[in-house]
Amino acid sequence: MAEKDNLKKIGDLLLNNAMYIIIALAVVYITIMRPSFLGIPSIVNILSLTAAKLPIALGIGGCIVLTGTDISAGRVVGLTACISASLLTTVFKVFPDMSNAAPLPLVLLLVIGVGALVGFVNGFSVAKFKLHPFIVTLSTQLIVYGAILMYLMRGVNNGQTLSGLADNYRSFITGTLFSIGGVAVPKYVLYSLILTIIMWIIWNKTTFGKNMFAVGSNEEAANVSGVNVMRTIIMVFMLAGMMYGITGFLDGARIASANANTGLNYECDAIAACVIGGVSFVGGIGRISGIVVGVLLLQIIFTGLNFLAVDANMLYIIKGLIILIACAIDMRKYLVRK
Amino acid sequence: MKKFNKKFLCTLLSVSMLVFMTACGGKSDSAPASNSNTASNSDAKTDTPAAADTDTAAPADTEAPASKDGSVAVFYYTYGDTYISSVRAALDSALDAAGIKYQDYDSNNSQTTQSEQVTTALTQGATVLVVNLVDTGSDDAAKNIITQANGVPVIFFNRSVSEEAVTSSDKCVFVGTDYEMAGHMQGEMIGNYLLENYDTLDLNGDGTISYVMFKGQEGNAEADARTQYGQEDADAILTGAGKPALSFYDSANSNKYLVDQAGAWSSAAATEYMQTIMSQYSEANNNMVELVIANNDEMAIGAITALQNAGYNKEGATVIPVFGVDATDAAKDAIAAGSMIGTIKQDAEGMANTIASITANYMDGKEAFDGVDSANVVGTWRVNIPYATYTGN
Repeated sequence: MAEKDNLKKIGDLLLNNAMYIIIALAVVYITIMRPSFLGIPSIVNILSLTAAKLPIALGIGGCIVLTGTDISAGRVVGLTACISASLLTTVFKVFPDMSNAAPLPLVLLLVIGVGALVGFVNGFSVAKFKLHPFIVTLSTQLIVYGAILMYLMRGVNNGQTLSGLADNYRSFITGTLFSIGGVAVPKYVLYSLILTIIMWIIWNKTTFGKNMFAVGSNEEAANVSGVNVMRTIIMVFMLAGMMYGITGFLDGARIASANANTGLNYECDAIAACVIGGVSFVGGIGRISGIVVGVLLLQIIFTGLNFLAVDANMLYIIKGLIILIACAIDMRKYLVRK
Repeated sequence: MKKFNKKFLCTLLSVSMLVFMTACGGKSDSAPASNSNTASNSDAKTDTPAAADTDTAAPADTEAPASKDGSVAVFYYTYGDTYISSVRAALDSALDAAGIKYQDYDSNNSQTTQSEQVTTALTQGATVLVVNLVDTGSDDAAKNIITQANGVPVIFFNRSVSEEAVTSSDKCVFVGTDYEMAGHMQGEMIGNYLLENYDTLDLNGDGTISYVMFKGQEGNAEADARTQYGQEDADAILTGAGKPALSFYDSANSNKYLVDQAGAWSSAAATEYMQTIMSQYSEANNNMVELVIANNDEMAIGAITALQNAGYNKEGATVIPVFGVDATDAAKDAIAAGSMIGTIKQDAEGMANTIASITANYMDGKEAFDGVDSANVVGTWRVNIPYATYTGN
C-alpha cells in the first residue's frame, strides 16, 4: 500500500514539474543532435532573445492574474516602436520639421506614457463597465492599429518602414554589455533583468501586488476586505501598458526598422509563455519566476527546433501542443487543490 | 443620480462619436467633393447615386480637372504593407489629379473582409472596382468578385489573378508585374555580383558560397517564385562560369529557406533567424553564412540589423552581401550606406498611374488600355509594370 502511495507521489512530482523535465529533455536531445547548441554563442543568443521577449510577458502576466488577458499588447509595442523609431532617427520623415534626434530619456518617458495611456483605457473600461478584458483589449488593439497606420502616413513617410535610426539609440539598446568568450551580450539583457527585478518587487513586496492577487482570486472578497478593486485593476493594466511601451522602445532599436507589422501577434507568445510558466487563467496564481521560465522554455524550444532544421509547419503543431499540455497540467494542480 | 450618470455618459459618448466621425469624414471627402462640378465632357452614361452632390459647381473649381461621373472603390489587401502603402499614396494622388472620386478600403489581409467590402461598395454605387486581391491561392475569390460586380468594371492589381479569371468578363483587367520576373532578376543580379567578387565573398575559402534564403510567407505565389528563382538563376550563372552552385548554410534543412512564421514578410522574423544562425555559424567556426537572399526588403533589412549587431555590414567591417526586392526607402538608404548590395525595384508610381488611366478609360467608355504603353500590355487582359534592378548606381 505504502509502495502505491510512493509511486503516486513520484507520479505527481513528475507531472507537477513536467515543464522543467520537458526543457531538460529537449536540451539534452538537441545537444546530442547539434553539440553547438550548448556553445557560448548559442546560449547568449537564447538569453538575448529571451530578454527581448520578457518585458511584454511580465506586463501581460498581471492581466492574467486578474483572470483577464490583454490582446492589445502587440499593437502597443508596434505603436511605441514606431514612435521611438520616428523620433530617434537620422531621417525625419514622420516629422519633417525636426533636424536632431530627440533626447533618449524623453522618448523613453513618452513611450512609457503612451503605453500607460492605452493601459488606463483598458483598465478603466474593465473596472468601470465590468467588460471582459478580451473585448476591451480587442477594441483597443484595433484602435491602436489604426493609430499606427495614421502615424506612419504622417509627414512625408507615406506608410514606409522607419529606419536610419540614430547611432546613440541603437548602441544604447544593442551595444555590448560585456563579452564572454568573444561573444557580445547586448545591453537590453541588462534592462530586461532590471525590469524583472522591479516586477518581482512590485508583485511580492508591495500592497499593490498583494491587492492584485486578492482581486485575481476573488474580486468580491477583496472588495469586502477593503481593497480598492477599481484602482487595482486600472493600475495592473497601466503597468502592463508601460511594459509594452518599454518593449516597443527596445524592439525599435533591436530590429532597427519599425512598420505597421511590428509587434503583430507578440501577445500570443507572451500569453503562451505566461501560461506555460504557471500563471493561471483561474486567477490569483502566478509567479515572476514562472514567467521567466515560460519565456525561456518557448525560446529554447524554438531555437532548438531551428537548430534541428525542423519543418516550419511542424513548429505550429509543437507550439500548440506545448500550450495545451501546460494548461492541462496547470488545471490539474488546481483541481487537486479544490 | 446613477441613472442620470448613465444617460449623461451615453450622450457624451454619442456626441464624441459624432464629432469624431465628422472630423474623419471631412478630410477624406473634401478633395473629391470640391472637384465634383458637373463634368460636361464625360458622356454621363451611368446614373450615379452620388449625383446628388454634383450640382455644387463653384466658380473656384475652374482650375480643377474635369471630374468624372461615378466613383471608384479601391481595395488594398492590407494597409500594413510598405510597398502597397506607396502604391496607395501614388494612386490617391493620381486619382485626385484625374478628378475621380474614390474610396479606399483596407481588407486587412482577409479575403472575407474584402469580399464583404466589395458588396458594400457595389450597393453604395461604385462604378469601377480596383482590387488588390487578398487570396491569390485560387481563382474563386477573384471570380466571386467579378460575378458580384455584374458588369461593373473590375481592375485587379499587384497580387496575381489568373488569365482565366480575368478573361471571364470583358470588363476586367489585371495590372501587375510579371511576378516571376522579380525572382529571375534578383537571381541574375546575385549571380553577377558573386562572379565579380567571388574570392572576397568566399570567407572560408572553401570554393563555395553558403547562403541563407528568407521567405516571406508560405502559399504565396510571389514568395514561392522569388524563393525558387532567386537561388536557381544565381546558380545558373555561377555554374555557367565554372563555379560551384550555392550551398544552403544548413545541409539538414531540406526546404532550403527559412520562412516568417506569421507570414508577414517581417524584418523581426529575419533578425531573429539571422541572430540564431550566427550563434552557430561564424567566421570563427569557419562556416559563416556568405550571402543573404530575402524575398523582400523588410526581411533584408532585418537580416542586416542582426549582421550589424554582430559587427558586420558597417563601415570598415566585412560586408555579407544582402539582397532584397521592392526598393523601399529603407533599402535604398541601406544600399547608399553600403550595408546592402541590391534590390529589385517595383515601380509603385508606374502601377498607380496605369491603374488611374485605365479607370478613367472605363469611366469615359473608351478602350481599357487606351493610352497605356503598348509594350507593357499582354493580350487584352493584363498590363505588366516592368521591374528594374537597383544597386544605388
